[in-house]
Amino acid sequence: MAESSGTTLMDLITSDGSSSKPTPAASTTAPPPIDSTASVGPPVVAERRSKKGTLLQIQSDTISAAKAAFNPVRANIMPQRQKKKPVSYAQLARSIHELAASSDQKSSQRQLVHHVFPKLAVYNSVDPSLAPSLLMLDQQCEDRTVLRYVYYYLARILSDSGSQGLSPGGGIPTPNWDALADIDAVGGVTRADVVPRVVERLTSEALNEEVEFHPRRLQALKALTYAPSSNSEILSKLYEIVFSILEKVGEPQKRKKGIFGLKGGDKESVIRSNLQYAAISALRRLPLDPGNPAFLHRAVQGVLFSDPVAVRHSLEILSELASKDPYAVAMALGKHVQPGGALQDVLHLHDVLARVALAKLCHTVARARVLDERPDIKSQFNSVLYQLLLDPSERVCFEAILCVLGKFDNSERTEERAAGWYRLSREILKLPDTPSMRDSTSDEKDAAPSKATKDKSAKTRRPQPLIKLVMRRLESSFRSFSRPVLHAASRVVQEMGKSRAAAFALGLQDIDEGAEVNTYSDNNESYDPDINPTAPSEGRKAPSVSNGIGSKDTIASLLASLMEVVRTTVACECVYVRAMVIKALIWMQSPYESFDELESIIASELSDPSWPATLLNDILLTLHARFKATPDMAVTLLEIARIFATKVPGKIDADVLQLLWKTCLVGAGPDGKHTALEAVTIVLDLPPPQPGSVSGITSIDRVSASDPKSALALQRLVQAAVWFLGENANYAASEYAWESATPPGTALMMLDADKMVAAASSRNPTLAGALTRLQRCAFSGSWEIRIVAAQALTTMAIRSGEPYRLQIYEFLHTLAQGGVQSQFSDMHSSNGEDQGASGTGLGSLISPMLKVLDEMYSAQDELIKEMRNHDNAKKEWTDDELKKLYETHERLLDLVSLFCYVPRAKYLPLGPTSAKLIDIYRTRHNISASTGLNDPAVATGISDLIYETSKTRVPDLIYETVKTKSALPDALDDDLVNFWAANLADDGAPAMNRVNEFLAGAGTDAPDVEEENIISRPSMSYDDMWAKTLLETTETGEYDARSSGSSSPDSVGSVETSISSHFGGMNYPSLFSSKASTHGSSQPKEKPGASRYGAYESPGSPVREEPPPYSSPDHRRYESFENPLAGSGSGSGSQSFSDGRPSSGNPQFGTALYDFTAGGDDELSITAGEDLEIEDEVDGWYYVKKKRPGRDGKLAGLVPVLYVTPS
Amino acid sequence: MLLAVLIANSEGNILVERFNGVPAEERLHWRSFLVKLGVDNLRGVKNEELLVANHKSVYIVYTVLGDVSIFVVGKDEYDELALSEAIFVITSALKDVCGKPPTERLFLDKYGKICLCLDEIVWKGLLENTDKDRIKRLIRLKPPTDF
Repeated sequence: MAESSGTTLMDLITSDGSSSKPTPAASTTAPPPIDSTASVGPPVVAERRSKKGTLLQIQSDTISAAKAAFNPVRANIMPQRQKKKPVSYAQLARSIHELAASSDQKSSQRQLVHHVFPKLAVYNSVDPSLAPSLLMLDQQCEDRTVLRYVYYYLARILSDSGSQGLSPGGGIPTPNWDALADIDAVGGVTRADVVPRVVERLTSEALNEEVEFHPRRLQALKALTYAPSSNSEILSKLYEIVFSILEKVGEPQKRKKGIFGLKGGDKESVIRSNLQYAAISALRRLPLDPGNPAFLHRAVQGVLFSDPVAVRHSLEILSELASKDPYAVAMALGKHVQPGGALQDVLHLHDVLARVALAKLCHTVARARVLDERPDIKSQFNSVLYQLLLDPSERVCFEAILCVLGKFDNSERTEERAAGWYRLSREILKLPDTPSMRDSTSDEKDAAPSKATKDKSAKTRRPQPLIKLVMRRLESSFRSFSRPVLHAASRVVQEMGKSRAAAFALGLQDIDEGAEVNTYSDNNESYDPDINPTAPSEGRKAPSVSNGIGSKDTIASLLASLMEVVRTTVACECVYVRAMVIKALIWMQSPYESFDELESIIASELSDPSWPATLLNDILLTLHARFKATPDMAVTLLEIARIFATKVPGKIDADVLQLLWKTCLVGAGPDGKHTALEAVTIVLDLPPPQPGSVSGITSIDRVSASDPKSALALQRLVQAAVWFLGENANYAASEYAWESATPPGTALMMLDADKMVAAASSRNPTLAGALTRLQRCAFSGSWEIRIVAAQALTTMAIRSGEPYRLQIYEFLHTLAQGGVQSQFSDMHSSNGEDQGASGTGLGSLISPMLKVLDEMYSAQDELIKEMRNHDNAKKEWTDDELKKLYETHERLLDLVSLFCYVPRAKYLPLGPTSAKLIDIYRTRHNISASTGLNDPAVATGISDLIYETSKTRVPDLIYETVKTKSALPDALDDDLVNFWAANLADDGAPAMNRVNEFLAGAGTDAPDVEEENIISRPSMSYDDMWAKTLLETTETGEYDARSSGSSSPDSVGSVETSISSHFGGMNYPSLFSSKASTHGSSQPKEKPGASRYGAYESPGSPVREEPPPYSSPDHRRYESFENPLAGSGSGSGSQSFSDGRPSSGNPQFGTALYDFTAGGDDELSITAGEDLEIEDEVDGWYYVKKKRPGRDGKLAGLVPVLYVTPS
Repeated sequence: MLLAVLIANSEGNILVERFNGVPAEERLHWRSFLVKLGVDNLRGVKNEELLVANHKSVYIVYTVLGDVSIFVVGKDEYDELALSEAIFVITSALKDVCGKPPTERLFLDKYGKICLCLDEIVWKGLLENTDKDRIKRLIRLKPPTDF
């Protein structure tokens, strides 16, 4: 057991070809028989258990190995290994020690080369105790292969940097190495002991100038570079060595030119070139030293070296240096860039990455601001860059295209990208007149293009518009069968789209895409069709056909023909290529063209179940990026996003989707708001998913949610949409009670409902449409959706002026009664749920909402009566009367604020007529309107915190969006937008981070494998599966319903969990009466969710007012609703919560402020003025005890926090 | 940066892996991801046919050679096409060492040499030697260009 960890690979390797034939066979037929604890999945536990045991064993092994090293007379241990037993690390170590001592014998060398060293390679690190033997071998052994291994292992000893992840890694964890850390005291050899010796040895070898020694010198230098760069001592030594070598061999020798990579040449120059190579390669691995002229000088010299790899490295160094100091690099390169210079030679160098580095270098220098005064230099570099567009290698050509497009890293500014599009669409490639060097040196790979150039040299010299070259090249790449090529080509098109979008966004002059591009030529035929000999450019026909003006090409027609080819690539088998194509299409989509085609492509793609969730989310994020680039596309993008919502609700990140809704709604501007809102809420109009239905697979108007998981996700999404609608309808409709011109209590209120609705919808169709949808949801959705719908309606009622408020009021009233449901029954597509005894079952939930509205209306009536009285009596308002009025106003404001955010300074719960009186009172008593300190939410301090955090991280995305938007005339109110921006940060924090990360092009973190069963695939890797278990403990908490619906027997269970965690996580209020259940086990899980909840809830509502000093009470409101849902899953009835309720220790006392009628078994009816003992507070509810039982006989229960004032 | 080179057998057992600049805690994810990618997509794929994938800004190119599947992962300048170059170098070195597309047995028999080849091909996360003759010389401790 102790030895078994990670032995599979060792097993396989150890077994000799003959004796172990069965082993590989076994491994291919049935994996496990090899050694059940080896690399097979479950080793994790076993391995960990055995770790301690191993440690002891290792300890003794190591010590004996060390002893063996000093006492090499022991019997050769190799025979031991012949017994097919897997070789332990300790055995290997011992063999090395012993064989090192007899390394002059052929047999020892053979054993080292064939048995010991290869097996040692299986381990992921080499422990320092081997170093003495390795050094001994290095000194004494003559055998080249043995020595090569020695350098390999010395390098690995040097590179071992532990957790920094820089070591080459891989393989079975080396037992001794880990153990040694613990048993240092025993006298093991530590790294600190050996590293100086190794470095010393390698340094002296690297400086050895003997001719015969030079291959070893190269390897020694290479091994040295593996030392961690944090070790400044070794680093300075390395610089010293590298520069001293370059000092001797760096100077270019003219006559050696032109021997590129060819064999032959005199011995001296070959050695020289080898040393140049080794030194430059080592230099490339050393940290860049931008300020150092010697560094730059050597790098520039490197361009002239004859070794192609050396040239590549020096170009890479130069291109990195150029990004720091382009001026110095440009000056140092001087005449190399001129026609006939060294850089021109690189164009024909047979090393793809060298040419890629050249492209980067040229681009960096050519775009450098500091060189603005030297247009000659810039144009020389530009010309080299443009010539790379003709490169036979796609890698190089694409790099050049990206450079031309202004894509360098992910940090380019919009202006640079825009300039990139301008360059691509306007500039002309003029080849220099100097004779091409191609013919002389290119080898096989270059043969084709060089032949083409020779044949067509006359033609290629003709100036050509870049755009044509690029388009044609891309088109031919899209005909390739290689998936990487297709993927890369789509990526290039995507980048092209980005640059184009940037150009349009900045409104660059002169980007008329209808303009003809054949400026320099008479007809099409003169263009070289053989830029890429692999594919004929049939694409050429398309433009001339599609474009009605004969043979003239316009950018638009070229693009159209390219996009045609791109679209056909969607048929590629590889889902990653398809994803890239879709991204490219999204980027190339113009805001002014029809997007039907794109829409149907995406719709049919999404119907394919093979799409991994990560890719879909990537595309969703692309929509974000696209929106950022072109806010005009808000509506189009929303339409596309809708496809995601309906087709793959289970796979996409709902937070990211909602963030998109939100940003697009703001971005849509005054005209687009209605359409934007429609696009979001159309989700609500979809018929419920039909399980198992395959029909209409490409129809975007049908929901695809055949499995429980996606049905659940869809429901979540619909909830989100309903909430979104409630929260934003007023914004989209620009209808606010505090800006409404029509005062309440006028004739409108006298109308009957039908006329009222008619009047309302003619006045504001957006709001009326939203209302209708919400009303339908309040009836026909699932339980959770109905609840959210009722809340959304309340929000709208509070925020809207008349007649909407009255309309909603009437509707809610009906809903609470449950009476007229039959009236709506035609809309009621059943979801199989019992609607509850009261018809809608929403009574208890709606009653507080109705109460608020009731109070507002009665207070308004009261006010009107008072005013009439005053008018009739011609009396002024006394201060007391005003005070009473003001108090009512404030009280109502507090109450309203509990349900949704309203601007306190402007909102008039008593109606517009009260404004004057309230103002009078305020001025008299010097009350500032916007203090809001009495607000319950502020009093509890919650929103203060939220506001603080949101303030500190207003994300760039929104900020920029907002900037662009607010720059537009007639755009949004700045304050409002800032308010939004501030809130978005808080809202979508996780989603926002994802979006920002995506926009920044970050993300090299490891992917999560979906749908997992990593564990069930037993033989995945070595025994470090334990790490997986570590990770798993954290993963299982989240939704594991993912893990395959059907494959595992407990999948039902996992779906169950996911249901509860879904609701827990999303915090959608499902007001089952079992509030207390939150106190159970689901409570802790809930916590992280609570913050996400902000995403829906919080102050996202666009409200026309400056941000108040608190974020919004409505966050609070949800808090008060959120609790009951958790854990209750799908409607467990009422539970008593006598069990497990944590008692808070020191009870508080309070008084009931208002009457409260219990709406559920857990709740307690109280009467105003009653004394209560407050036991506990949970999410907006107090658990209180009465002094004596009430009429219903209950003594304790839940009451809303608001109804009780703690004394 | 060439983040990883990984060679697995047809069972998904990893035979060789070289990570560069990948934090230790992420390696496991990469391993699982790559192996799953291979299991899902490599069935029936011809020798050396290149497949592609990406994760955020990281590219993956992979293929099959004999009994082993080869994955390379890279970012920045090591995009799909550069990785294709790298994987081409690796496959040709493998074929060179093994004499043909390797069986698993053959691969394991040549394990040491293969490790040396990889050492010459990828050096601290950067592609180094691409010419197979040159690699052959270097693993025998001969100079890259011989006289």
